Amino acid sequence: MRPVTATAAFSRLARQVQGRRWASKLTTASEDELKHFNALASTWWDVNGPQRILHKMNLLRMDFIVDTIRTNLQLNSKDTPEEESIYIPPYNLDLLPRPIRLRIVDEQELKRDELLDESKLQVLDVGCGGGILAESMARLKYVDHVKGIDLSPDVIEAAKLHMKKDPILRDQGKISYELQAIEDVKDTEKYDVITMFEMLEHVKYPAQVLSAAMDHLEVGGWLFLSTINRDPISWFTTIFMGEHILRIVPVGTHNVEKYINEYEISDWVKTNRPDFVVTDSKGCIYLPAYGWKFTETALVGNYFMAIRRVK
Amino acid sequence: MWKAVRTLTSRATTSQPRLRDVVIIGGGPAGLSLLAALKSSRVTRDLQCTLVEGGSLASVQNFASNPPEEYTNRVVSLTPKTIEFMQEKIGNWAYINEERVKVYDSIVAYDSQDSDSRISFDASAIGTGTLAAMCENINIQASLWERIQELNMTSDVPAEIMDNVKVEKIQSPVEFSASEALDELPDLLEVDPTDGMSELDWPIIHLSNGESLQARLLVGADGYNSPARKFAGIQSRGWMYDRFGVVATIKLCYEDYRSIGWQRFLTTGPLAILPLRDDNATIVWSSTPELSQLLLKVDPEIFPHLVNAAMTLEEVDLNYIYKLLEVDPSDKSVLGEIEWRLSKIKLLELDSKYPLPVRELVEGSRARFPLKMSHADTYVAPRVALIGDAAHTIHPLAGQGLNMGQTDVAHLMAALEKGAKRGMDVGSTLVLEEYYANAWPGNHVLLGVCDKLHKIFSTDFTPLVYLRGFGMKTLNSLGVVKDLMIKLVSGN
Ligand SMILES: Cc1cc2nc3c(=O)[nH]c(=O)nc-3n(C[C@H](O)[C@H](O)[C@H](O)COP(=O)(O)OP(=O)(O)OC[C@H]3O[C@@H](n4cnc5c(N)ncnc54)[C@H](O)[C@@H]3O)c2cc1C
Ligand SMILES: C[S@@+](CC[C@H](N)C(=O)[O-])C[C@H]1O[C@@H](n2cnc3c(N)ncnc32)[C@H](O)[C@@H]1O
Repeated sequence: MRPVTATAAFSRLARQVQGRRWASKLTTASEDELKHFNALASTWWDVNGPQRILHKMNLLRMDFIVDTIRTNLQLNSKDTPEEESIYIPPYNLDLLPRPIRLRIVDEQELKRDELLDESKLQVLDVGCGGGILAESMARLKYVDHVKGIDLSPDVIEAAKLHMKKDPILRDQGKISYELQAIEDVKDTEKYDVITMFEMLEHVKYPAQVLSAAMDHLEVGGWLFLSTINRDPISWFTTIFMGEHILRIVPVGTHNVEKYINEYEISDWVKTNRPDFVVTDSKGCIYLPAYGWKFTETALVGNYFMAIRRVK
Repeated sequence: MWKAVRTLTSRATTSQPRLRDVVIIGGGPAGLSLLAALKSSRVTRDLQCTLVEGGSLASVQNFASNPPEEYTNRVVSLTPKTIEFMQEKIGNWAYINEERVKVYDSIVAYDSQDSDSRISFDASAIGTGTLAAMCENINIQASLWERIQELNMTSDVPAEIMDNVKVEKIQSPVEFSASEALDELPDLLEVDPTDGMSELDWPIIHLSNGESLQARLLVGADGYNSPARKFAGIQSRGWMYDRFGVVATIKLCYEDYRSIGWQRFLTTGPLAILPLRDDNATIVWSSTPELSQLLLKVDPEIFPHLVNAAMTLEEVDLNYIYKLLEVDPSDKSVLGEIEWRLSKIKLLELDSKYPLPVRELVEGSRARFPLKMSHADTYVAPRVALIGDAAHTIHPLAGQGLNMGQTDVAHLMAALEKGAKRGMDVGSTLVLEEYYANAWPGNHVLLGVCDKLHKIFSTDFTPLVYLRGFGMKTLNSLGVVKDLMIKLVSGN
């Protein structure tokens, strides 16, 4: 069923990226898009305002990020002595009696906490907007620093201002924001986690943006992203219903031509970046009375992706 | 991750509020439970928490080393769910003085108009070994206190408890013009429109000791009159029942090995005798304002007989006895009146159908409190959450007041843990909404069930009496009232 060719925009860009590295933000930013987001800056942090749906999505994507990082931690390294190693049963835990199950799970969780507490993750949030994700990441104990970049001056301003409303963020210097394109981030800057949420569908050349971001990842590091499949259902839910009928998303936020299918990204990673593996993709949907929840498939509507640098 | 707040705290002067992540108002069972739970959880234990209690917690502190000889009169029935929560999640159960806890496994409830209409059920009805356990409020509070002390010993961020300190005023730091209606208040998380104005939007809590605190999250565990609820502008709806609950600790003739909780539905309200250890028991007697006053002043020697009469005799007879006591609360002739009437009941019937006779009233253990039912429209507002009696008060006929508070704590903890794992600001409505969504509906059902039971039984209007008698007998097997009761008592 999959079309053999990816979208025109995506594959054209994929070719360009392979050819040579571009370093001008003009290649990735779109004037109309930036104007749109500038206008939204002042209400960005009103959790009951135009960005409510993004605030709600942040809950699910933080689950996705945290769970992915946690479950992929290596609990026992090769040289862990037997008696100190964490027991990982080779079968489904649900089969065990409750107290034993609780103890095994708790032991594993404790080990994960310990491992995480030792790590001091460096995070880059690309297209950070008002900083919804950046603030959440920065509050995590095991995150050392979050740098947020965006090309809209007004949203960066809103992000800087809002950060001061929480002493933890204000006084610990865990966040910095910069008006910067991903291509302009210094080659020497390396990160353990790079996030790119609800952003690829707003750029002209998504593959270049992706590739530029991936270059800044440490080995073992994670790229987390979310965007929208280009299908009639996505058009129906995000543009027709979301923007025009329910009005839960500001009109003009989306442009269906820029939507990217999940398999376009995973295929692209496979062919172009052998040093990366798509570890997980999860579809998600917004239900007005409930909020965001995961769906059965990542091939329809909105989706999250976890891509890990393996070498 | 909360270290910054700490350094700031030490810099603060008296004029500047001290910053805290969580301020809990109220050192009752709900407030102490939340504090212990927050400090027990690996996800939330680094939050800077302060609990403020207006009264003294001295008796709570002394309970472990020096428990009072007699049972105190505030005793609650704990559901298996509450006990499990205290064992697994809060960890205070290890500090409960179990010698003062009485597990019971069945309940017998019967009607004053027809003692043959009765329902009984036991632990098998809920599929557990025990139905519920009777435990003094202070035993619970003391175990929580001990648990918090234990956690504080190893914590980098110890919990802070202030007693004998009242919250005098709660203030929003965001200035509103007087004309603004309450529902037009801007969301507190909104970005300030002007540069340089981004001050904290955390509520400021002014204390009677002159200090003030500023809280990321303010939790109202401050009881029925909840100052926190008023500050948040949350409506609470409900009504007074025009009834008082009279509580007392009593001694039975001898220890009842049956471990049964007894409840009789009188038209003035239900009277319950609930077992404690040995020959001790506690009563909760819901009654009209006049009757409750009478019950408090009846001669302590007569009182046990009056309880026996109320559990056994016809209501016409009871009313006659009340009249005699109205005239003279120490009228010893009443003893004969009661004796004579009880003697007409067959011994075998007395043994099998009614609780053991009460021998003695523990001195000074009688107290009454007004019964009301109320439920807050919501439990959350930006930077505010309500738990326990601050969120709801319930008729004591099923002894659920405290258990509902524990369910609140469980749901609020789940929401806060989830929020903290997600790196959220735990005072945000995005975090708190989930607490409200999960806790409110269950409480609403319980409140409704209790209210219905109260209304069905507090009447002597004949058709209804007939109906409920009919109901009790047939429904014992059919199960509607029984199910309601089981649901209430077991918390399932
Ligand atoms: C006299 C009495 C007898 C009861 N008997 C029974 C019973 O037999 N069975 C049963 O199931 N339930 C009973 N209840 C109900 C049960 O006790 C409650 O459901 C339970 O105690 C609620 O716990 P809580 O922590 O939510 O509130 P509370 O126990 O009411 O605690 C609230 C606390 O907040 C403090 N506070 C309030 N305002 C301020 C302020 N401005 N500053 C500082 N501190 C403040 C108060 O001092 C109080 O300690 C009884 C209640 C009362 C009052
Ligand atoms: C829908 S918002 C998402 C914001 C944020 N990532 C979040 O999910 O909370 C999209 C953001 O991407 C930014 N953006 C669009 N094109 C960009 C580009 N080429 N480089 C950096 N940011 C861009 C916009 O300014 C806007 O803030």
